[in-house]
Amino acid sequence: MAEILQVIHSFGEGLFGAIWPLVWALIKINVLMGPVMICVSYLTLAERKVIGAMQVRIGPNRVGFWGLLQPFADAAKLFFKETHIPAAADTVVFLIAPTLVLVPALLAWSAIPFAEGVVLADVNIGILYVLAISSLGVYGVLMSGWASNNRYSFLGALRSASQMVSYEVAMGFSIIPVVMLAGSLNLTDIVLDQKDMWNIIPLFPLAIVYFISVVAETNRTPFDLPEAEAELVAGFFTEYSAMSFGLFFLGEYANMILVSALATILFLGGWLPPVEWLSIIPGFVWFAIKVGFLLFVFLWIRATFPRYRYDQLMRLGWKVFLPIALIWIFVTGAAMHLFGLA
Amino acid sequence: MLVELIFYLFAAITVGAASMVVISKNQVHSVLFLVLTFFSTACLFVLIQAEFLAAILVMVYMGAVAVLFLFVVMMIDLDFAELRKNTYEHLPLGIAVGGVMLVEMVAIGVTYHAPEHLAVATPTPEGVHNTLALGRVLYSKYLLPFEMASLILLVALIGAVVLTLRSRKDRKRQDIGKQLARTRDEAVEVKKVKSWEGA
Amino acid sequence: MSLSIKDLIGSLALSELVAGLGVTLKYMFKPSITIQYPEQKITLSPRFRGEHVLRRHDDGTERCVACKLCEAVCPAQAIFIEIDTESQVENRKTSEYDIDNSRCIFCGYCQEACPVDAIVLGPNCEMTTETRQDLLSNKEKLLANGERWKEQVDANLAADAKYR
Repeated sequence: MAEILQVIHSFGEGLFGAIWPLVWALIKINVLMGPVMICVSYLTLAERKVIGAMQVRIGPNRVGFWGLLQPFADAAKLFFKETHIPAAADTVVFLIAPTLVLVPALLAWSAIPFAEGVVLADVNIGILYVLAISSLGVYGVLMSGWASNNRYSFLGALRSASQMVSYEVAMGFSIIPVVMLAGSLNLTDIVLDQKDMWNIIPLFPLAIVYFISVVAETNRTPFDLPEAEAELVAGFFTEYSAMSFGLFFLGEYANMILVSALATILFLGGWLPPVEWLSIIPGFVWFAIKVGFLLFVFLWIRATFPRYRYDQLMRLGWKVFLPIALIWIFVTGAAMHLFGLA
Repeated sequence: MLVELIFYLFAAITVGAASMVVISKNQVHSVLFLVLTFFSTACLFVLIQAEFLAAILVMVYMGAVAVLFLFVVMMIDLDFAELRKNTYEHLPLGIAVGGVMLVEMVAIGVTYHAPEHLAVATPTPEGVHNTLALGRVLYSKYLLPFEMASLILLVALIGAVVLTLRSRKDRKRQDIGKQLARTRDEAVEVKKVKSWEGA
Repeated sequence: MSLSIKDLIGSLALSELVAGLGVTLKYMFKPSITIQYPEQKITLSPRFRGEHVLRRHDDGTERCVACKLCEAVCPAQAIFIEIDTESQVENRKTSEYDIDNSRCIFCGYCQEACPVDAIVLGPNCEMTTETRQDLLSNKEKLLANGERWKEQVDANLAADAKYR
């Protein structure tokens, strides 16, 4: 592997000279983004299949064998539709907004380790970086709602923004004990710290709090109030069509995969196998299995629960999850002090 | 070379966005440019390898504070043309204040020389990344100011809640605990009603 | 009026939510009940009210005697009948028999009113057209429908006869 990289590097330096590092970075980004986007498009198919099965239906099965080409058909449809801009919209902001939803969801992937050493940028504040970048998604939502110049969109955007900001608090606090246990913000260190015991065992309530918070954070059912179709038409993307609508969609699904990957790293031991003798299966596969399971839970939840009422949503975030997370931070600290782990 | 190029790029974006905050006619655009200013400042922090500060800047200022700004600004209906009508009347005063500030800043810039130990950035010690270094300083040397600042923030938080919390006696509130504790025996009463005698 | 310990533990363990998840998981493994329409079709009741057919006697003459009862009973006024003035009393018949399918509500009153079982609502429900004009059925169309669906219409009438 190292020799092949060496050959590629020397070839690239010969071809591009001084700008080779930039080109190499671009290549790495593309190698990461390609599979992520494919996963995102197939997650849409998986969602329809899983929810279909749970509702005793079949789901899409017309395009390609078992509906496997459905994502491409959807993409083609979205590409060839007209991007409609409302007359009273703020055009520039209106067009930037969908990009601002998708880009943070993709940017954060650069710090996610898929296996030991397989990470685009092994920054030592990994978890903070991911949290910071993913907190930017709220701007796309707010901008789209405001720029559409539509009451439904604006209400949806306000709801979504306050929901995301509120649940970010609970999510952030539920991550702190993990960082305390690992003694590092680096995602690779956090995974390696779980070699003996996955974090989900000592921090089980927090894993639940984290998972429910990210469901709210990604605006998925039962917390999909921003797009509550019964009351707000479609929330902040009412006025969007064609690919600008598609970008919101991609952003939502990319975010789902991202938070699942993060949950895997923080609580499920990343690429580590559950028992030692299973380590013949490469770490990457374990990572994929765990992320896949969490994504399945996302879809499972969507097929099961009805939508929350808005005030109850806020109550849950601030009055239930935040105290639980704070108490568990205290408990973790006390336990670490008692057992001399710090 | 490359790093310098990137620095000037981000610096230009920062300055440009900061001036757009003031110039922009639409108040929402102003806030969005403010957000851009924060972000490119965070990028500049990354360039000087202060990635912890950068992440905190993005999280706190962009993820929370600026969102609240945006909330407020989007809700209020400000007519900027109305506000700008009297600009020229206040122009002399503005120029005077701005001029004084400029003179002061130039005076400081010309006369102030940093002490020897601050003139060069202290290199980070081997094996200690800046998050750890920052934490050590905050929780040892500056423990008291740090804790006091957090206490003041807490007081402000509680104060905001107390100032806005209004409880009305006649308001019907939902008590979810109470609802969950309801049993069938409390809620349902079975009555035998004779034919033609029921209400 | 306070939560019992059992309920408290249950709600902390999200027991009701887990039970709900269990139900959906159980249903996930049940065979789907989807009917993939163009390939698979459900069996229609003999009383199904689809597109109209005009029937003929076995010797090929039209059953319809132009009594106009169907035209009179039609609540949507979708039927228009013209009597063939040259026809004799023994085999009185229509010269025009039009049904406007865009007005028809498929109530089946025409079939009920018909004294000679001439107009019957057949089993065909796949009657989309590309223009509104095509929704107007004239006598030829209705008689052709009668030929096309003869077997099924006869079978349906026979199956339903004992309830009439």
